Amino acid sequence: MIPLSWYLALSAVLFTIGVAGVIIKRNAIAMFMCIELMLNAVNLTFVAFSSFFRDVSGQLFVFIVMTVAAAEAAVGLGIILAIFRNRESLDVDDASVMKL
Amino acid sequence: MFESITQIAPYIFFFLLAGLAIGSAIAVVAQRNPLYSAISLIGVFVALAGLYLTLAAPFIAVVQIIVYAGAIMVLVVFVIMLLNVETEDRRPLRLRSLVPIAVLLAAVLFAEAAFIFYFVNEAPAPPSPVATLNPSSVGLTASIGAGLFTTYLLPFEITSILILMALVGAMSLARRSAIRPTDVVVPGAAVLPRQTFEPARVGDATPVRADTTTEAAALSGLWDRAHEREDD
Repeated sequence: MIPLSWYLALSAVLFTIGVAGVIIKRNAIAMFMCIELMLNAVNLTFVAFSSFFRDVSGQLFVFIVMTVAAAEAAVGLGIILAIFRNRESLDVDDASVMKL
Repeated sequence: MFESITQIAPYIFFFLLAGLAIGSAIAVVAQRNPLYSAISLIGVFVALAGLYLTLAAPFIAVVQIIVYAGAIMVLVVFVIMLLNVETEDRRPLRLRSLVPIAVLLAAVLFAEAAFIFYFVNEAPAPPSPVATLNPSSVGLTASIGAGLFTTYLLPFEITSILILMALVGAMSLARRSAIRPTDVVVPGAAVLPRQTFEPARVGDATPVRADTTTEAAALSGLWDRAHEREDD
């Protein structure tokens, strides 16, 4: 049996890569994909704990996280579309003020 | 011989899938073309689905493929295609003087994480929790469905409201008139220079006040033209 800590370490690595991406990337869609990466890293932690403690709650929570991620994708891409239509650019540095 | 292979196989699978996940995740960040990032992200999702299978969670693995690799990534790729996103250009690093401090802080963080992992592994194993379910049935669809519709019914229903709100929000955001450019007459207490309505009178900054849409339309000359067209 693979130890629990290996899964947690993998999850931590993926989450860190996601955080680094959000900090490094300037493209709104790329930052959005890095956020999805972070959500997936957390999901891996949930499923690992759920499997090791033989409790189904963790997997139910993953289900709900996926639903929230889908809602976030719909709204986030809508916002990105609106920003692009307004500014002709996806660079977040061009959208650093809330004014139109 | 066969005994040893069955013992080693899970480790091989874990390292294969973990390597695929980390490699694809680094590619997501390293690629400068968003479309390549999206394809790499699908690789991460597939690797994580495989890891969920090794954790005996087949339902979550399948939902991961359908919802993430299927629905969400198709949406992202669709938006990338729609907006014709160009490759990110490499920029000079701002605040170059902070690089040594960043490296130092990263080293401290890494040392902390290693310290915690080492001592967690050294600590005596906690008493194993009481198994509430038959181990073989934890990740199956039946047990997840039972949980969703009994203990966690309220969060499940709240999720449906969230989806509805996201649906309405996305539609209202993506409407073409969602965000007006600033030089359009906005009904209300807006005060604009006359020059805005009559480009011929350049330099005329006499304020014009419009409180209703029809008033604004009449002032800008749109209303009359619309009615003339109706009469014809």
